[in-house]
Amino acid sequence: MSEVAISVKGVSKKYVIGKQKDGSLRGTLASLFSKRASKTEQFFAVNNVSFDIQKGDAVGIIGKNGAGKSTLLKILSQITKPSAGAIEINGRIASLLEVGTGFHPELTGRENIFLNGTILGMTRKEVTSKFDEIVAFSGIEKFIDTPVKHYSSGMYVRLAFAVAAHLEPEILIIDEVLAVGDAEFQKKCIGKMKDVANAGRTVLFVSHNIAAIKALCNKGILMHQGALPFSGGIDETINEYYKISTNQSNKTDFSKFNNEFIEVLSFQLTPTIGTVLSVESGVDFEISFVNKTLNSTIDTTFELRNIDDVIIFHRGTYIDEENGSKKGVYHVSGKIPAHLLNAGTYYLNILFGQNSTYLLMHCEEIISFDIENSIEDGNYKLLPGVLKPQLLLKSEFINHA
Amino acid sequence: MNLSNLQLTRFFYICSMSHPSRKVIRADQRSIIPDFRELYRYKDLFYTLSWRDFKVRYAQTSIGLLWAIVQPALTILILYLVFGLFVGVKTEVPHLLYTVSGMSVWSYFSYVLTNSGNSIIANQGMIKKIYFPRLIIPLSKALIGFVDFGITLVILIILMIYYGIVPSANIWLAPIFLLIGVLAALGMGIWMSALTVRFRDFQHVLPFIVQIGLYITPVAYPAEFAVQRLPSWAAGIYYLNPMAGVIQGFRWTLFGGNPPDLYSLISFGMVLLIFITSLLYFRKVEDEMADFV
Repeated sequence: MSEVAISVKGVSKKYVIGKQKDGSLRGTLASLFSKRASKTEQFFAVNNVSFDIQKGDAVGIIGKNGAGKSTLLKILSQITKPSAGAIEINGRIASLLEVGTGFHPELTGRENIFLNGTILGMTRKEVTSKFDEIVAFSGIEKFIDTPVKHYSSGMYVRLAFAVAAHLEPEILIIDEVLAVGDAEFQKKCIGKMKDVANAGRTVLFVSHNIAAIKALCNKGILMHQGALPFSGGIDETINEYYKISTNQSNKTDFSKFNNEFIEVLSFQLTPTIGTVLSVESGVDFEISFVNKTLNSTIDTTFELRNIDDVIIFHRGTYIDEENGSKKGVYHVSGKIPAHLLNAGTYYLNILFGQNSTYLLMHCEEIISFDIENSIEDGNYKLLPGVLKPQLLLKSEFINHA
Repeated sequence: MNLSNLQLTRFFYICSMSHPSRKVIRADQRSIIPDFRELYRYKDLFYTLSWRDFKVRYAQTSIGLLWAIVQPALTILILYLVFGLFVGVKTEVPHLLYTVSGMSVWSYFSYVLTNSGNSIIANQGMIKKIYFPRLIIPLSKALIGFVDFGITLVILIILMIYYGIVPSANIWLAPIFLLIGVLAALGMGIWMSALTVRFRDFQHVLPFIVQIGLYITPVAYPAEFAVQRLPSWAAGIYYLNPMAGVIQGFRWTLFGGNPPDLYSLISFGMVLLIFITSLLYFRKVEDEMADFV
């Protein structure tokens, strides 16, 4: 029962920054002849990581961008070799870091099924025996003999995932491939992955979509800055992940936001409901600052931007408008309503102005935070769009046309 | 030799044990020779990639396979004009036929070398996203080169009938020289594919090698013709060319004449050396390919 599927002991992956980019013959020849040390820097993408995965577990690997998740998956799926440590893998392993690896646009859907299947490690015989199932799963029977360059991106992804879904490895490694396809297909994919996990096979799953990880996995591994601070049950791991991410964002050093007019003392974000900033929680924020100016009307403006630098809102208030702002400490609080922002990463800027004319201070990216996705109607998918409002959509049947 | 049932069972048991459903990756251990057993397990990928290249090669061109005829035919014509007519090289069979026989092996060599040499760079998307023995990629170019060989071979047979020339009694040895040719093309190609990963400069070196190779290899003239004009110490250097021995040998199986001499052995030795070192060097850089391409 408690057989080990994957055992990782002290694995590290080191990259050399600077030198690596320079793959030129000239650079190598030059470094042969000159003793001058070239500017290089070592970087551990994965740093001394150890863990065991039992057979039959579905393990979610969680962490922020750049935490080393993808590098770890690349090492486990043998794409790259670790710089230190050892890995033992018991069972046939298949990794799916991308759907449609090796697809060729000039070839037909039928031909690409064989091509992609053998690239993923199936024999031609295995592909032949599953061919009809694959085509049925993809739902593009009509276009199976059309070159895939004429496919829509949705069709392309369906076909690619259909091939991957019919691999029958004992260990399956999946990276973020769920971020594709429409909602219905998405459900189909999660269902297929659940089947794999329920059949007693081992699944390793990386995603930024915490809701999907929660739905699929029973164990979790947390990665942070290349290291592995926590592993255990999936709920505990997700909680640890939130701890790390909130600690980080609330630890901002505010001393740089201090000039002759304004000094920021503190800034805090908390979820209105629950412990996690999510689509359904809403966000409370509060700022304390010292006003050093005399007899002027101070205003504070909160400007929220998303990862694409799109301004989501730019709203502000006058401080003590009736009496005129006094010298001293002020406290401003506000609220971003629940069911407004979509899941994603956001940056908050705060601008202090005087008489609506002069900019006293611009606190750029005083904080960055992630809004987690929420599950609605069993749909774990990250929807596109900046907002995710509740539209109270209703439909009713009028009559037969 | 008689194996009892028990022995057989034991044998298969040991085989299944060594089947890598259990795999250990250790950072401090690396094998210096390729894992041939694993390569064999990926034979289906080898066939699929070969077949893909065949399909894709002529998929978008309107006259399809005709290109594979036009290119060597024009090269043969030019070589015949320059070496046969202008220079007036003397050969034991008509010069046109002589050139075609050389071109048949050379066109295989140049196609496989060019394509396997560029293959790792061309398939970097796959290399970064999935594991398989990387050696499959340059190796998979070996089969499709026979399309080019086959086309020139047809021209060769037509010309032999036209000139009324019967193949020599050594013709059964031809596959051996072809095999050496395959090793030469793959050896050079594997070297180039591995080198281009680290040093993109070799992408520019590759077409140059193929272009110059056509002239320093006895394709359109007999090797003796070149060697006689070289100082004696340079003759050995001439035969360092791995394809020199192959083409001379292949021609000998077609038309007879002087069998491959000691000089040819230098050439065959080079083929072996290049092929074996290519496997070793490829193995050396294989683990880090995904980090560098």
